[in-house]
Amino acid sequence: MIDPVERALLAETVAAAIAAAAEQPAAAVDGALAELGWLEMLAAEPADAIAIVFDALGSTNAQATALDDVIVHALGLQPHPGLAVVFPPFAAWDPPGSVGNGRVQARGLASARATTASELVVVAATDREPCAVVVPAASARITTVRGVDPAAELRAVDVDTGIDTDGPAARIPVPWDGAVALSQRAVAHQIAGATRAMLDLARLHARERVQFGRPVARFQAVRHRLADALVAIEALDATLAAAADAPEPETAALAKAVAGRTARTVAAHCQQVLAGIGFTTDHPFHRYLGRTMLLDGLFGAADALVLATGRRLLAERSVPTLIEL
Amino acid sequence: MTREWTRGVMTGAGPSMAEYRAALHRWLDAHHDELAPRYAPPGTLDEQMAQMQRVKSILFDAGWMRYGWPEPVGGLGGSPMLRTELGATLAARDLTDPGLFSLIEVLAPTVIDYAPPALAAEVVPRLLSGAEMWCQGFSEPGTGSDLASLACRAVPDGAAETATTWIINGQKVWTSLAQYADRCVLLTRTGTAESRHRGITAFFVDMNTPGISVAPLEMINGVHEFAEVFFDDVAVPAGRMLGELHGGWAVAMSILPYERSSCFWQRIAYLYRRLQILVEAAPADDRAAEIVGDAFVQLHALRARSRQTQHRLAGGATLGAETSIDKVLVATAEQATYDAVRRLVPGCIETGDDLAAEMWRSEYLYSRAATIYGGTVEVQRNIIARRLLDLGGDE
Repeated sequence: MIDPVERALLAETVAAAIAAAAEQPAAAVDGALAELGWLEMLAAEPADAIAIVFDALGSTNAQATALDDVIVHALGLQPHPGLAVVFPPFAAWDPPGSVGNGRVQARGLASARATTASELVVVAATDREPCAVVVPAASARITTVRGVDPAAELRAVDVDTGIDTDGPAARIPVPWDGAVALSQRAVAHQIAGATRAMLDLARLHARERVQFGRPVARFQAVRHRLADALVAIEALDATLAAAADAPEPETAALAKAVAGRTARTVAAHCQQVLAGIGFTTDHPFHRYLGRTMLLDGLFGAADALVLATGRRLLAERSVPTLIEL
Repeated sequence: MTREWTRGVMTGAGPSMAEYRAALHRWLDAHHDELAPRYAPPGTLDEQMAQMQRVKSILFDAGWMRYGWPEPVGGLGGSPMLRTELGATLAARDLTDPGLFSLIEVLAPTVIDYAPPALAAEVVPRLLSGAEMWCQGFSEPGTGSDLASLACRAVPDGAAETATTWIINGQKVWTSLAQYADRCVLLTRTGTAESRHRGITAFFVDMNTPGISVAPLEMINGVHEFAEVFFDDVAVPAGRMLGELHGGWAVAMSILPYERSSCFWQRIAYLYRRLQILVEAAPADDRAAEIVGDAFVQLHALRARSRQTQHRLAGGATLGAETSIDKVLVATAEQATYDAVRRLVPGCIETGDDLAAEMWRSEYLYSRAATIYGGTVEVQRNIIARRLLDLGGDE
């Protein structure tokens, strides 16, 4: 762990650099991150690096392709800008690929990097542990997802290509659960940053917008909505801290579930407080709304994660405490 | 009891905390029969109170009740997290009710910090060892969430600075366990009626003082947990003043850090135990999975938050308005847990007549107060808006 003072300084530097590039395409933000030494930070202090970078991406609404690096790193491979990853489909977190009969097939999402990378990592479920297969990016069908947030530069990926399934390099056993956990934490941090930004926008508006002769921030109905938004955000921060202190797949999945729910709660309250202006594209709120709707679906949507968690509790007839004093 | 680990746990963190926990569990396992309730749960309030005092007595003699408390009041020192862990463990094992047990946390620290040292040294060990029960006389019929409006009056016999006795007149209400209490941490009005938080003084009052009468109130679950307490010319020695004259607000506020950390952690342990019982009985279908999963996610977020709060307190931080967030989370998660029971075991709370149903019904009904007591969630949201979100005043 980096010491707190150093960490705060680093967070400030990263946030400023990302903010400066935030309105630009993902490639520009990636460039800013590379200059900051993102890959070195990720290798040396992955937990802090992920928390700092993804919080900043969330709060500035910038889009980068750093999630590819997080996954590659967690899979035990060497991240580099030419290597992109096939993410699971929206809302899911199982390995997106399968291998058999000399072919690798996968369907999922990807970052903008999939378009520029030379290779794609496909993680495939097998009857034993999941395996990574690296395929030429040119062999995949990659389409742009416009969706609710075109600025996120998300891609849909379809892989169906022949491989030498017996070759030693073709199938690399990888810790998929660990990669999912780290990705969930990264995306949850991004959501945490985005929800704080939404709350800041709504606070500012509530203090400045005058109706009935006073700022709307004076109305208890407005205040309580914003208070509930903060409660949700603080709870998310706490689950992220718990996931960092007790780094297990369960704590990461719970942080991601809480993140998805927090995004929904905060967006609903803030949008209501922002009222008319928040319903226009003149105001930045809509960008955060669309972004968090997308992020909820990366590596496990809240509803799916809650259901899976409940199924596990009922199957094991046991409620684990997961974190202790 | 082995002591090797005790030096390490005095800071209350890291692996030594895990060692303390492991040692505690071993000891509780070994003494299970001695500690287990003598009745089939849930039991009556009388039975629960007797059980709690018996457990405290055994644990005090064995030393466990003394960890985390200062040495001058009979403690063995160390981080307050040690006693938090003990309370949580007792709740998780259904050995004591955390609502009753954690009252220690809103009473003893106040007396330790504000009573004359000799008085604290005399009485605190009696509370910890189960020899006595205390209550907290704060709320009044006209004083719910707005504590600074309290009216129960204390008048000195002569000049306030030199008085030897104070005469108290007035009424308290929602005083938990007053009918069992030997002492009361009492807030009184010593300033003008308009002085609000600047004119309040705290006293440590013996409940057997002439002029005190107690009338238990029946809650919606049929339990007489709290009471009205009437004060009719009750004479209290000046040496029983807690803190400064007119300094009662500081005394009342000093409770907040413990109420919002240790008490909550114990409550959370209890809620995990309740969800465990539900998970053992619930159907294994997807509707149940969604409901159970939902309650669990809320409990986990609450536990994560409360854990941060415990560590901040143990690290020397002053807890304040940000604990209103903990309060909203605990109230919401508690109700969600019991709502899950009601949805997953249809008819149990409404029509069940066995002991298990009795427990769920009583606790379900009690959980409706979670958003009311200790400052309503609306008051917490007001505090969050003003103090944490800087939204200014609401007038």
